[in-house]
Amino acid sequence: MNETAITVHDVTAHYGSKKALDQVNLAVPTGAHFALLGPNGAGKTTLVNILCTLRRPDGGTAVVAGADVIARPTQARRSIGVVFQDSSLDDRLTAWENLEFHGLVYGMAAKPRRAMISTVLELVELGDWTHEIVRTFSGGMRRRLEIARALLHRPKILFLDEPTVGLDAQTRQRIWQYLDRLRRESGLTVLTTTHYIEEVENADIVCIIDHGRIIAEAPPEQLKKDHGIRWLHVVPQDATAAEAIVQRFPQAQRLSGTGLALPAGDDDRTDAFLAEFRDRLSEIRFHPPTLESVFLSLTGRELRDRADGQRDADRAAGRRGGRR
Amino acid sequence: MEAMMLLRGLYAIWLREITRATRDRAQLIGGVSRPLIWLLILGVGLNPYFRGEIYGEVRFVIPYTYLQFLFPAVIVLNIMYTSIQFAVSVIWDREFGFLREILVSPMPRPLILLGKVLGGSTIATIHGGLVLILARFADVTLSLQQMFTALGLMFVLAFGLTSFGVILAARVRSFEGFGVFSNTIILPLYFTSSSVFPLDPALTRTQMVTAYPEWLVFLVQVNPITYAVDALRGVIIGFNQFPPTYGLAVIFGMAAVFFVVALIDFSRS
Repeated sequence: MNETAITVHDVTAHYGSKKALDQVNLAVPTGAHFALLGPNGAGKTTLVNILCTLRRPDGGTAVVAGADVIARPTQARRSIGVVFQDSSLDDRLTAWENLEFHGLVYGMAAKPRRAMISTVLELVELGDWTHEIVRTFSGGMRRRLEIARALLHRPKILFLDEPTVGLDAQTRQRIWQYLDRLRRESGLTVLTTTHYIEEVENADIVCIIDHGRIIAEAPPEQLKKDHGIRWLHVVPQDATAAEAIVQRFPQAQRLSGTGLALPAGDDDRTDAFLAEFRDRLSEIRFHPPTLESVFLSLTGRELRDRADGQRDADRAAGRRGGRR
Repeated sequence: MEAMMLLRGLYAIWLREITRATRDRAQLIGGVSRPLIWLLILGVGLNPYFRGEIYGEVRFVIPYTYLQFLFPAVIVLNIMYTSIQFAVSVIWDREFGFLREILVSPMPRPLILLGKVLGGSTIATIHGGLVLILARFADVTLSLQQMFTALGLMFVLAFGLTSFGVILAARVRSFEGFGVFSNTIILPLYFTSSSVFPLDPALTRTQMVTAYPEWLVFLVQVNPITYAVDALRGVIIGFNQFPPTYGLAVIFGMAAVFFVVALIDFSRS
């Protein structure tokens, strides 16, 4: 646990004039479950692409499993397994053929290859689908197959970019159990990126990233203790009430929809607020410290605008459909 | 040990192309129907008109039937189609994300490209080989040695053209664009390769220009496919319009040059 699996030093990346990553520094200990948490477009995927050698950073260095990703990319690639955000399976091949391809490309000999293929197919419960063409698979099945494939060559570090999209709770639990065992037994390091709070509660270290910058890095409990405060979520009766509240309490933050959130750590102020606006609110609710509230207090924004995320997903699907 | 691992990867990339091709019915149907149409309809239809004596004036003194003359060219046509269509496989990998699976693997870039091009050339050679089945119908008899020489040349030609397809793929963004693109390349190249009509070597240049307009003769002579067809014709029916070494030089030259350009493209992406 005291070695570092991933070291990122001052990594910077641009897309045109837009900064995707701004002097990011990270150290991920071997065997850890490290979660990168941030909204869409925060730079998570860019960072993962740099770490798995698909993109060169515009500045800084990154070392993965002891290999510099710029100077020795091939060595770095040998020790990593990657599950990308979008599918990277060949859907004209069967599940087995996809895995066989992967095993061969990573140079695995026939015997261990075949054995590992059945092991990982069993793990993700696709044993009955071994010789089915991937095109007939549902989204969740494809996801499971990709996770199986990323583990096939026994990587030292596993990257999961938005891993559990499309997975049911049972499968997710099963996969995490297996990953936890690998972490204990063989020191597998897992790096996940996500914009789902639920994903990171079990992580050893959560790293909050926003606008290409790391704004906090600690175990989840620590984060909640340091930055989490109780929040009071209120829904004002009308827009004038909302306006009045924001005027009177500038620390109030607008939520998606018509809601407002006020820090409720200081009880006097909460009392004052309630006394003044009690009659102009249609809903009040206290929120205990969660990672969501940590994010809110660190960035002044909700982690994600759910409607926005849905729109992005629809757009991506439309793009794919249009091309196929 | 290291070499063995790389060989496995090369084999996997090659095998994937072959497996995908066997599942692509449309491509296979094209590979079978194209030679049938060209040989059965065009070949049989024009066969009687091929000998110039019809009008009492011997223009072409080629001692072969039209079917025999056309036969090697149809092989080249089939190879051209399959090779250049291979670009679709490259675009597919890029658009549907599979390319990333290959790029994060420890396989070196040149070997990835080599595996893909070898896979594409194998498929194209098989499609060219399908035409050989029709040899008896076209009155072409091949010895075993002729057949293997032909297959060898076909493979090297396919290797060059497949690399050319990869070069095109790097410059085309969409599938739709590529369909139009490939037809505007393949057919003109095919028609100006002295595939469906001969440039009579017995005539002087002045006579050649009276038989054909100068621009057409020029196009035929600068088209590299002309020499590829000529080389294959030399092996299969023993008829050459140019020195046989030209064809060999062009076929091997294309393979080397196009692969290197494709490699430069691919490493840059």
